[in-house]
Amino acid sequence: MIVGIPKGLLYYKYKPFFHTFFEELGAEVLVSPDTNKEVLDMGVKLCVDEACLPVKIFHGHVAKIKDKCDLIVVPRIMQIKEREFICPKFCGIPEMVYHNIEGLPRITKSPIYLYSIDKFYNWAYDTGRMITKNINKINVAFERAIEAQNHYDEGIDDNDFELKVALVGHQYNIYDDFINMNLIKKLHGFGVGVITQEKIDDEVKNNEVKKLFKRPFWTFAREHYGFVSCAIDNNLIDGIIYLSSFACGLDSVIIELIKNKIDEFPFLLLKIDEHTGEAGFDTRIEAFVDMLQRKKRKRGEMA
Amino acid sequence: MKITFPHMGNVYIAAKFLLDGLGIDYVIPPLNNKEALEIGTLYSPEEICLPFKIMLGNYIQSIRQGADTVILTGSCGPCRFGEYGELQMKLLNKIGHNLDFIVFDMPSDIGFDELKRRIKKITDASPKKKHEKYMALMNAYKIITLIDDLEAKAHKLAGYEINKGDCKKILNECKKELLRTNNPKRAIEILKEYHIKMDNVQIEKNRNPLKVAIIGEIYTIIEPFSNLYIEDKLMELGVHSKRTLSPSWWFYNTVILSPFGLTAKKIRKSAKDYLPYGVGGHGQECIGESILAHEEGFDGAIQIFPLGCMPEIVSKSILPSVSRDKNFPILSLVVDEMTGEAGYQTRLEAFIDLLERRRNHVLSRS
Repeated sequence: MIVGIPKGLLYYKYKPFFHTFFEELGAEVLVSPDTNKEVLDMGVKLCVDEACLPVKIFHGHVAKIKDKCDLIVVPRIMQIKEREFICPKFCGIPEMVYHNIEGLPRITKSPIYLYSIDKFYNWAYDTGRMITKNINKINVAFERAIEAQNHYDEGIDDNDFELKVALVGHQYNIYDDFINMNLIKKLHGFGVGVITQEKIDDEVKNNEVKKLFKRPFWTFAREHYGFVSCAIDNNLIDGIIYLSSFACGLDSVIIELIKNKIDEFPFLLLKIDEHTGEAGFDTRIEAFVDMLQRKKRKRGEMA
Repeated sequence: MKITFPHMGNVYIAAKFLLDGLGIDYVIPPLNNKEALEIGTLYSPEEICLPFKIMLGNYIQSIRQGADTVILTGSCGPCRFGEYGELQMKLLNKIGHNLDFIVFDMPSDIGFDELKRRIKKITDASPKKKHEKYMALMNAYKIITLIDDLEAKAHKLAGYEINKGDCKKILNECKKELLRTNNPKRAIEILKEYHIKMDNVQIEKNRNPLKVAIIGEIYTIIEPFSNLYIEDKLMELGVHSKRTLSPSWWFYNTVILSPFGLTAKKIRKSAKDYLPYGVGGHGQECIGESILAHEEGFDGAIQIFPLGCMPEIVSKSILPSVSRDKNFPILSLVVDEMTGEAGYQTRLEAFIDLLERRRNHVLSRS
């Protein structure tokens, strides 16, 4: 049996889990290729216009591997933390894929609740049964997969650069080098190091969001806001780059929360969609880095 | 304390009489208009949804009339509506207005004590006795139910009326007359009178008008300004239209039924084959309603939602399958501050044309 895993959405966060789980079950895992022009074009064609770029690209990944596997993993991640959500589109992604793309093999539709191991096991059980009848095998695969995920060292924290920026945004934008047009490499080329939100402890982020009037009910909002807030207060960074995809419902709110917090702190918002041109994108990054350098030099002279 | 609230369909009528009954000072923002939208768009984040922008415009127009406190219902996800209070408060602060927000979140999210504390903020401002406060609440509920029912009746009967425009006229007169009184009891009387008037509209029973269901995101379907008065347009076209979602429906399903997990049970059950899990907002309801409308013999459905509405994007992906499987035409309309009236009207008329032709076609075949 060949299990297809689309390299989109939260693949970058949970890849150790999914790989281990299906390999332990004895399935052959087929991952879609890195995002490329073909994947993007297919996704844009198949998905509704109003959806955001990452959701469109996910459609492209599914379409790319649909003829080569017997089962495609479409993770319906409902909740990562208790009383928190991620995005409504994640709750309906199997239906979006199912109704937008013709000629699909079987897809996984079971919901994933990550905040409780029992609830999460329900997903493993439902999905594992599509591959094997052996419950014991599913249990072992599930345990090993969780272990692999727990040992996964996520995130970036560069140290050998003159300047450092907080790179904020959803994992599926930050770690997909096609979507973000090699942003991290470009920054390194300019002598700018990067820190991402995974490198800050959850506890610290939670303390930061407690200062808000309302408890943010999105996991990403809590993480992104908490990360930026803590990075500024502890002088970890020289600037913030927020990478957002056009029409992202969450970002429209999170960016506003962050802007309210940071006041005059250097902030660059990079918005991407299927029409973004690389030249304009580069110019904006260059201008921002220039500004950061000037600022640093000025501070140096004054000191 | 001078209270104001954002416009959401007929909510302003119920809110007015609730505050009248409580004896609390209030400002009703000017009925939604271009200016409110322009002001709101100016100060809002660019990519936030349309309701946010219009509401912000409502507040600023109310502030100009002396309002200092906003009442807002809330939620804790997953749709953006839950973040409105926090963001709007900060945005207003930034431009120099200091408004107090009283947000009614679900007790499951903020705790009963916190909810009680927030309600107390309002009831403390009322000079009335306890049972009078209770009566004010009951009357407001009665009023919102009556006005929503009257509206639904008008939308239905417009397909049958002999003198074109009767239903619309009665509905509009009723709303105008309601605003002339401050007495909740009198408001109920007025509403009952107008129900009788509406029942007596001359109709042609045997006519078989086109029937269209309005489905989609709740704010944009109950707030006529945001959907470019689609229901008025349908009434003018002699179409019988139906919309399940309304302020009274919302109150009954969200406040009264949700603690028992019974919210929109029938609608959600109908959606099961296509969308088995809730995706926030009323995305699942949107699918369920389209299926129910088909079962009830409607000719088609129109989905309306604001640009970027996350739950409705999920339903928009699924509706073409419903349409194909059931042979049931569904039109999706997306609205934002840039929606042009001419293109919108054209699409609506083309859709109605299509429904008419389909019907003739079916009849000629039989």
